[in-house]
Amino acid sequence: MKSEIPEIIFIGQPNCGKSTLFNHIAGFKAQTSNFPGTTVSHTHSEVVWKGKVYSIVDLPGTYSLTPYEPQEKVVLTHIFKEKPDLIVNVIDASLLGRSLELTVELLELEYPMVVVLNMMDLAEKKGIKIDTACLEKKLGVPVIKTVAIRGQGTKELMDCLEKVLADKVAPGHLCYSFEVEKRISELIEVFPENFPVVANPRFTAIKAIEAETLSVDRFFLENNRNFKEKLDEVRQELGGLRQAPAYEVLAVERHHLAMKIAEDCSQVHHARISSLEKLDNLIMHPIFGLFLLLLIFAGMFYLIFNVGSPLEACLLRPWEALRLGIQERLGQTLSAELLAGLIQGIGGGLAIVFPYFIPLLLLMGFLEDIGYLSRAAFLLDAFMHRLGLHGKSVPLFILGFGCNVPAIMTTRILESRRDRIVTTLLIPFIPCAARTTIILALVAFLLGPWWAVGFYFLNLVIIAILSSVLTRIFKYSSPGLILEIPSLKWPSPKNILQKTWLNLKEFIRFAWPILIAGSVLLSFLSFINFDRLVNTVLSPFVSGLLGLPQSLGVTLIFGVLRKELSLLMMFQALGVGYEQLLTVITKTQLLTFVTFVNFFIPCISTVAVIWKEMGKRIALISVLLNLSVAILVSWLVRIVSSFF
Amino acid sequence: MFRHREKQNELSSYRLGGICSLLEIPQSQTFRIVEIKGGAGLHRRLLTLGFHRGDLVSVDCEAAMRGPVLVRNLTTGARVALGRGIAQKILVEPIKTDEV
Repeated sequence: MKSEIPEIIFIGQPNCGKSTLFNHIAGFKAQTSNFPGTTVSHTHSEVVWKGKVYSIVDLPGTYSLTPYEPQEKVVLTHIFKEKPDLIVNVIDASLLGRSLELTVELLELEYPMVVVLNMMDLAEKKGIKIDTACLEKKLGVPVIKTVAIRGQGTKELMDCLEKVLADKVAPGHLCYSFEVEKRISELIEVFPENFPVVANPRFTAIKAIEAETLSVDRFFLENNRNFKEKLDEVRQELGGLRQAPAYEVLAVERHHLAMKIAEDCSQVHHARISSLEKLDNLIMHPIFGLFLLLLIFAGMFYLIFNVGSPLEACLLRPWEALRLGIQERLGQTLSAELLAGLIQGIGGGLAIVFPYFIPLLLLMGFLEDIGYLSRAAFLLDAFMHRLGLHGKSVPLFILGFGCNVPAIMTTRILESRRDRIVTTLLIPFIPCAARTTIILALVAFLLGPWWAVGFYFLNLVIIAILSSVLTRIFKYSSPGLILEIPSLKWPSPKNILQKTWLNLKEFIRFAWPILIAGSVLLSFLSFINFDRLVNTVLSPFVSGLLGLPQSLGVTLIFGVLRKELSLLMMFQALGVGYEQLLTVITKTQLLTFVTFVNFFIPCISTVAVIWKEMGKRIALISVLLNLSVAILVSWLVRIVSSFF
Repeated sequence: MFRHREKQNELSSYRLGGICSLLEIPQSQTFRIVEIKGGAGLHRRLLTLGFHRGDLVSVDCEAAMRGPVLVRNLTTGARVALGRGIAQKILVEPIKTDEV
């Protein structure tokens, strides 16, 4: 039974600004970026507007209602299973002709619908003028103009939704050419009894014709031979009209309808080339673009380091003083130890994590928002092919620098399972914000920035080697790159800040408590001497193989919970403050430790998301792979750096 | 800017005014899609991205190291990066001068 609350779904082609619009209406719930495929599963929210409750759903972007990519299947399941009360079709107004192809397809459902012309500002910049009244007349549904990024038009949209829901008027479909419509009606007439009709017979017939070469087709054959024969006949006749497969004939019908409407309802004036387009030409330049890519990432880490390290130094001092004061006053009692652990947990989160974490999130948000990720995919595609992958993995790796978890979830944009497996196994090797903190806080701060640069380089080389090895194990020729490059957009500071806040909130709610609890737990364990036991057991490995102080054994284990935890616990285990660290361990030991922590088993949330997305076999492989690489590489680092 | 590219194409069918693939045409010039070769899967994906027979397209640029080409569909306004293997399967012809 359907509940009283009307359900409204937001649907549109990738990168049309659905999620941004959704966020404006629903409060901040959905992740957005200027990269196709950010919304991989649907986001759901309840909204109150003028005293009424609406349930709104943000679906992943889809180019059409015939699914090719996994996230597009989410859309179909949703439309068919939970028949929505209203469809909001969001359109990128600057790409009117192509976007209307999906609109034409959606109208065939004959569900109540509203069309939203989003990105009106961009369309105007491109010199496109759209006559909404004309569009409303041609499509038979209300059309609302919005600029979602600035929240313009959202009130009008809500009022319109309210009105359409009250009227419950379903639009009619647009008509294809006579010959095509005739064949569709013929097919409807031979529908067997209890044929699973979705939405309406015409829509079902069209989808049945388009199912040629898709696996659904076999279902028709097995279930009803007569129908299947008629279906094939219709397909052949349709194909004969244009000397093309039937599915293309239908796609072309929609294309023509869409183009005709776009031509009738919009005027394109010659637009001057905007500064963004000039910038885009530089970014996409084959040689300069690559150079810029390098510059952007080098600059990004330079900036984070230069903002982070002075902040870190000045934030650490009071906490360190507090800890020493407590130890002086209370001595070696349990309460003193626990208090010191607590202070190290709180202070460590605040003084070590925040100075690096926040700038990294802000810069990543900026890159995502302007639309740089898909451009990086374009520039590095050829390079990635040498490593056995393709360019679409690049944005995922870049996302991984922020946090591995969303990066692994977004691997859904990859078409082949093999690419997904390899990319999923590689992402945990990307130093996420937590590990960047460790690298910057230990390597860059104590040994110098160039050491950190070298460390990142080593990290990338290892990923490249692993990629070549893994793609050789999972043999399969990768399909070529097909990736839409959305227009470059000026980022909205509000959007970036909100996204950073969202990630920060996660950190404060989940990670920081773990850091504090872990720190206190270690204090307790060391007070009852349990850590000695663990350290003794691990000693052959920690001191023997890696040459680290025996007392670090237990801290390595805790890194599984949160990577920063290893860092905090290291100070605790060694019993020194941050600035005196190099008095108790050598440079080699420091490098070995950071290498091990960096490559060690992915943190618990990463393992969980791999398990959820790819199954427990891949999760297990990932854990073992990281463990063996961590041991091997940190051992190598120890050997090599002992020569210097 | 990309002399080597033009040189390499001296004898290609483009020079002879015939049908050729997206890989063989000079940048920033308008061509019309005449055929999309390859399997149904690829064909369908390109259709949904707004690449149809008869559309006008131009190549904006191509990435280094024999990377993908950036194709602009002038009919629909979409811009898509296509791997070389895929670009090779899209056949185009020069448009007549009076159509510009």
